[in-house]
Amino acid sequence: MALTGIQIFKLSPKKNCKECGSPTCMAFCMKVAQGAVDISACPHFSPEAMAQLSEATAPPMKTIKFGAGENEYSLGGETVLYRHEKTFVSKTRYAAAVCTCMDDAEVDAKLAAVPAVDYERIGERMFTEAIFVNAEEGVDAAKYAALVTKAAAVNRPLILNVKDAEAAKAALAVCKDAKPILNAATAANAAEMSAIATEAGVVLGVSGTSVDELYDTVTALEAAGNKNLVIDVTMDTIKATYEAAVEVRRAALKNNDRTFGYPSIVNLVKLSGGDAALEQALAAAFTMKYGSIVVVSEMDYAMALPLYGLRQNLFTDPQKPMKVEPGIYPLNGADENSICLTTVDFALTYFLVSGELERSGVPVNLVIQDAGGLSVLTSWAAGKLSSTSVSDFMKEKVEPTIKNRKLIIPGKVAVLKGDIESKLPGWEVIVAPLEAVQLVKFLKDMQADGQL
Amino acid sequence: MTLFDVVFSGNDTVCGLTEGAINDAIAKYGEDKAVALPDTAYSLPCFYAVTGTKITTLGEMKAGLETIKTLQGRNKRLGDVFNSGVATALEAEFIETLKYIDGAQPYEAPCSGHVSDAIIRELGVPLVTGDIPGVAVILGKAPTADDAVALVKSYQAQGILVTLVGDVIDQLMEKGYKTGANVRVIPLGKDVTAVVHVVSIAVRAALIFGNIEPGDAAGLMKYTFERVPAFVNALGALNPIVVAAGAGAIALGFPVVTNDVETAAAVNIKVPKSLIVQPDIEKFNATSLEARDIKIKITNIDIPVAFASAFEGEIIRKGDMQVEFDGSRVDCVELVQMKEMAEVEDHKIEVIGPDFDEMPVGSKQQIAYVVEVAGKNMQADFEPVFERKFHAYVNCIEGVMHTGQRDMIRVRISKDAYEAGFRAKHIGEVLYAQIKNEFDAVVDRCQVKIYTKPEDCTKIRHEVAIPTFDKRDERLASMTDEAVDVYYSCIMCQAFSPSHVCVVTPERLGLCGAVSWFDAKATNQLDPAGPCQVITKEKLIDERIGEYEDVNEAVRKFSQGALEDVSLYSIMEKPMTSCGCFECICGIEPFTNGVCIANREYVGGTPLGMTFNELASMTGGGVQTPGFMGHGKHFIASKKFMKAEGGVARIVWLPKDLKEQVRDNLNKTAKELYGIDNFVDMIADETITTDPEELVGYLTEKGHPALTMDPMM
Amino acid sequence: MPFNRKPQKFSASINEVEIGTGDKVIKLGGASVFPFYTFDGSIGNAPKVGVEISDMGLEGEPAGVKEYYAGCTTMGEIAKKAAEMEGADFVALRLDGGDPNGVNKSIEELIAVVKEVADAIDAPLVVEGCKNAEKDGELLTKAAEALQGRNVLLMSAKEENYKAVGAAAGLAYNQKVGAESAVDINLAKQLNVVTTQLGVKAESIVMNVGTATVGYGYDYVISTLDRIRAAALTQDDKMLQMPIITPVASETWGVKESTADEADAPEGWGDVEKRGVSMEVQTAAADLVSGSDAVILKHPASIAAIAKFIKELA
Repeated sequence: MALTGIQIFKLSPKKNCKECGSPTCMAFCMKVAQGAVDISACPHFSPEAMAQLSEATAPPMKTIKFGAGENEYSLGGETVLYRHEKTFVSKTRYAAAVCTCMDDAEVDAKLAAVPAVDYERIGERMFTEAIFVNAEEGVDAAKYAALVTKAAAVNRPLILNVKDAEAAKAALAVCKDAKPILNAATAANAAEMSAIATEAGVVLGVSGTSVDELYDTVTALEAAGNKNLVIDVTMDTIKATYEAAVEVRRAALKNNDRTFGYPSIVNLVKLSGGDAALEQALAAAFTMKYGSIVVVSEMDYAMALPLYGLRQNLFTDPQKPMKVEPGIYPLNGADENSICLTTVDFALTYFLVSGELERSGVPVNLVIQDAGGLSVLTSWAAGKLSSTSVSDFMKEKVEPTIKNRKLIIPGKVAVLKGDIESKLPGWEVIVAPLEAVQLVKFLKDMQADGQL
Repeated sequence: MTLFDVVFSGNDTVCGLTEGAINDAIAKYGEDKAVALPDTAYSLPCFYAVTGTKITTLGEMKAGLETIKTLQGRNKRLGDVFNSGVATALEAEFIETLKYIDGAQPYEAPCSGHVSDAIIRELGVPLVTGDIPGVAVILGKAPTADDAVALVKSYQAQGILVTLVGDVIDQLMEKGYKTGANVRVIPLGKDVTAVVHVVSIAVRAALIFGNIEPGDAAGLMKYTFERVPAFVNALGALNPIVVAAGAGAIALGFPVVTNDVETAAAVNIKVPKSLIVQPDIEKFNATSLEARDIKIKITNIDIPVAFASAFEGEIIRKGDMQVEFDGSRVDCVELVQMKEMAEVEDHKIEVIGPDFDEMPVGSKQQIAYVVEVAGKNMQADFEPVFERKFHAYVNCIEGVMHTGQRDMIRVRISKDAYEAGFRAKHIGEVLYAQIKNEFDAVVDRCQVKIYTKPEDCTKIRHEVAIPTFDKRDERLASMTDEAVDVYYSCIMCQAFSPSHVCVVTPERLGLCGAVSWFDAKATNQLDPAGPCQVITKEKLIDERIGEYEDVNEAVRKFSQGALEDVSLYSIMEKPMTSCGCFECICGIEPFTNGVCIANREYVGGTPLGMTFNELASMTGGGVQTPGFMGHGKHFIASKKFMKAEGGVARIVWLPKDLKEQVRDNLNKTAKELYGIDNFVDMIADETITTDPEELVGYLTEKGHPALTMDPMM
Repeated sequence: MPFNRKPQKFSASINEVEIGTGDKVIKLGGASVFPFYTFDGSIGNAPKVGVEISDMGLEGEPAGVKEYYAGCTTMGEIAKKAAEMEGADFVALRLDGGDPNGVNKSIEELIAVVKEVADAIDAPLVVEGCKNAEKDGELLTKAAEALQGRNVLLMSAKEENYKAVGAAAGLAYNQKVGAESAVDINLAKQLNVVTTQLGVKAESIVMNVGTATVGYGYDYVISTLDRIRAAALTQDDKMLQMPIITPVASETWGVKESTADEADAPEGWGDVEKRGVSMEVQTAAADLVSGSDAVILKHPASIAAIAKFIKELA
């Protein structure tokens, strides 16, 4: 049972000194209770209180960082199994794979493809965040180091998938400052690899042939003092991998077993058998089910467009609807002479409305208002969508660029029509139907009647 | 003769006829001769449904009759009357079945006789959906053929399925009236026994749509009573056979309306709500629908302008205005009043006083419209719920603008609407139609009175409306949690706050501020499977914090197990969860032993070191956060606010705007609870300080009671 | 200490609903654990995959779909070919042409298509309406009548027309009722409550709790599915224990990622068909791990991949 803010506050120094960065002790304790800050940020807790609290407030799943500088990413730190319970914290990161088994041309092509996918979607940059560098069994250390050097040049953090100590050392010698993950520990070599990883100051990845073996290896590593780990849950089959991914996360978050409180790696290259469509399905499934890093054969746009969209949805705050940027979105080749239609910046509304507008084929300037990311009725009720907000936005943003003076407003706020008209001289305000699906007919009828 | 005698004698007659017919048939064909009704998988459906036995031969039919006879008790009890009625129907089914023996086709157009399963399946769907709102069984002979046509037409216009038995069929034929299943007027047959074919429809509907097991007579009766909205219109002189058949109809739950005043009086028939004497054939329709509780949806409102939500935001400027009713200058009022059934004539719309034509263009006038409603499930508490919808109703009329409520309304009628023919009565039409449609669960009858004379309006406003409003307000203000037997859950906002459940009580409205106990109650009654459900409060666990086992059970259920238990009156122990749309949030301020409250509109900081948004993000989403709680504005001045922690005396800080909004009520509560005058002046706000230490200083200076109360932690 | 497994196995389970008749009959539901948690207990029947075809024939379909059906000239032929598709468990006929705001085909015309399709196949059949609640009320009622004895699933009964569809499919003609709600656990439950109050047995109901394409408000879909499955199993909520069917193709093939030709698309997007398949496959996979018991897809490549995905996990 997690502690409440009040319980933590009782043990707090109650000085309101602000040294922790929070304006009051109460605010600080609330944040600690939420797992938003670590209790050590306060310099004034008594040692007894600290001892009592740090165990209780320690997050069930560690936050592990890899990569360096602007390429540093946090993994893990999750507190719940389902997104509706609380916002997921650390997005799944995707790695593209190269291997010593590939010839130079293939490696070059794979590495060249990494920066090719890089775009923005609803305010978020979407790109391949890491490179998974696989060493074949028994590979020559120098050959592996050469591949690592090549991969490192792409400027993405690396995941060194290597089980041979010499090869691991050679690779780390090349790239350890960029803080790769050394995905190298197995039941057989855990101690040796742990030493290498610790020496290089990098995260150690732990693999195993079963959930039980993984557990034992992690237990041993923790006992030896290494808690900078990720768990590679990839098994021989898809089914066993799914089980491992679920068991590891569930043990940590639901059953309070902190041994499994580490982020995970899922290597789809090993599971998909070269079936691209199956790999797409698996990428989606393991994004949902607890992959912290998902390794794919190649991150092309076909893989990326749905996958990043899914990830964006999965990691949103369940209480804060996703927002789109306010502004003018010309659809179906709309220009300054096309009619305007306005709605709110709630992403779901935007997608529904823009989808229907596109289906209508009628050129429309879709004007997205800043409504705090709420739906039409909710934002209207909250006063965020009002005749004033609409008319101000139209005057400021639309009038300078659009010549058409007809504005369609959402049917659900028909009540605003008169007020908008009086605040927006020169505009004709038209009320849309109540549901987005009715827009196609509505617009086509307007077009047929020559009202556009 | 009494009712008993009439029914028993009618039943005896039919029984005798049946026995004779079966014996004749056996003499002719032998006992093994097959008997069946065409196109049905349910044998002789009525007999099969009641007894669970299929009849396939004349011999079995003869045995079946013996079974039926066991129903024919002759004690002077209503139970025997109904059973004899059922027996009459079953015997009629035998007689009708015998007509089909040996592949005969006893019926010819327009009469259908037995109705096939296929047609029942087809008619059953609209019956279940309410597209066919009822089934009329017209039996006998109307006073004139025109009366017959008018009556059938009136049902047809309402979408009601009409079945005809007896002379009324000839009356319609005489007038060339179109009949058939496609126009939903089905002549069954001219013999009175043909009435069993409609009983057969009802019975098979129960078997097919109600999953009633054959032989489950009680289940059958229950289904037909609850789900088959049929009724009987017995026209003309009643003979014992018809009365006996009528008793069968009543047993199935179908009321019988008759215009035979004499016979009814002679036998001194009294079966309330089931046997109704209506001498005026023109009123048969209304009487029948009300008796069977059939509500007809109004799809077209009879007004000369459009009615749609698209017109809700229309503004009518002075220049475009034909006439204006302005409650701020003259006496205007809108009011809903609950009445007794007898006091309300459905769809009566009266305009008392001059109409718009007699009002000078552009003038300010008075108006008072009173909507009177009656219904079995109507409650006076719903009056304000309906009334609040008037604004939207009237505003949705093209060319009409409405603002305000109660006696502070303003209504403008545009010149265009007036030109189109819009007059005072049309406001009544709109109110009537909308109330009947939206609140059909509780409103059976509705009439509208529109007063436009100054003296009437003044009288209605001051002598009727204002006392009503005062009474309602007083009731609302005096309603305590202790005074009611149930609370309501509300999960309207679970889409955003998955595990949040509001427990709405009279003194603690929904966190959003929009759902009062009355609203929740009305929502529940109007939409029983909807977001507001009844929560009993019988199992008190802890009075101090307001914890009930029933409430906990409900919260567990409606949060899908995410929440275990909640208290109603504490923010420290098991506080109620907060959604995402609460009006205010209060949080514990440890240095003063009190709480600070921030409202959604307030964007600045609080002495807690957090803004409203920061507080909301830590508290919302249906999670219990002791020390912090979302709530509605009205709850601030409630005697139940933080009752467990000592009540409103804990409030140490409020944003200035909010403080002014709650000032009067909060002062009143503090006075009543603690005897403190002007308590609100002791509470700090952002113009005084947002710093916790300065806050302590201010409270000390003011002698705020929270400082000396027990620590909250 | 070795790892201590704590399986989440529940005494409650998802209802089993049969669709179709004879050898090809399929069963949906039956799980008493979370999706694909085979290591916790029985997942009941493995999720099923349907092939969507439309009364509009192959008009506007992606090239790979057209190619698969090459040579088919009638709806009957298309249906037969659909039923033979590798990985397909059932056929879903979508009556797009009925949309009053679109082609607005008559009910009679559509019922003729329904019969032609049903006669051509012995695979289980799902009939989807035209999305217009009013028209569907009548259309699906007639379809239920026309398909007596085939034990088909009729989608969808919504708040506006559940009485008509529920009464026809669930009561009059003994078919299965697809109850469709808009991505909200309470709406889903409420619809199930009123549909069962109508007299339709809970075991005759399959839910379509609403869907979206990944990236397009799909967050609500995840949470709705997660919460429904949790309520059904952990709370033993009978009104949420109906199996879930999710029409995927009709959503995913409409978004720009699946429709923008390479020439019109942003640079680098590549072949449109590959993108379309990936949108369909990833959405389906996400639906399945959140609790769908059946998905409806249309591209042969997607169907093969998802069938394999299910086989690997189930």
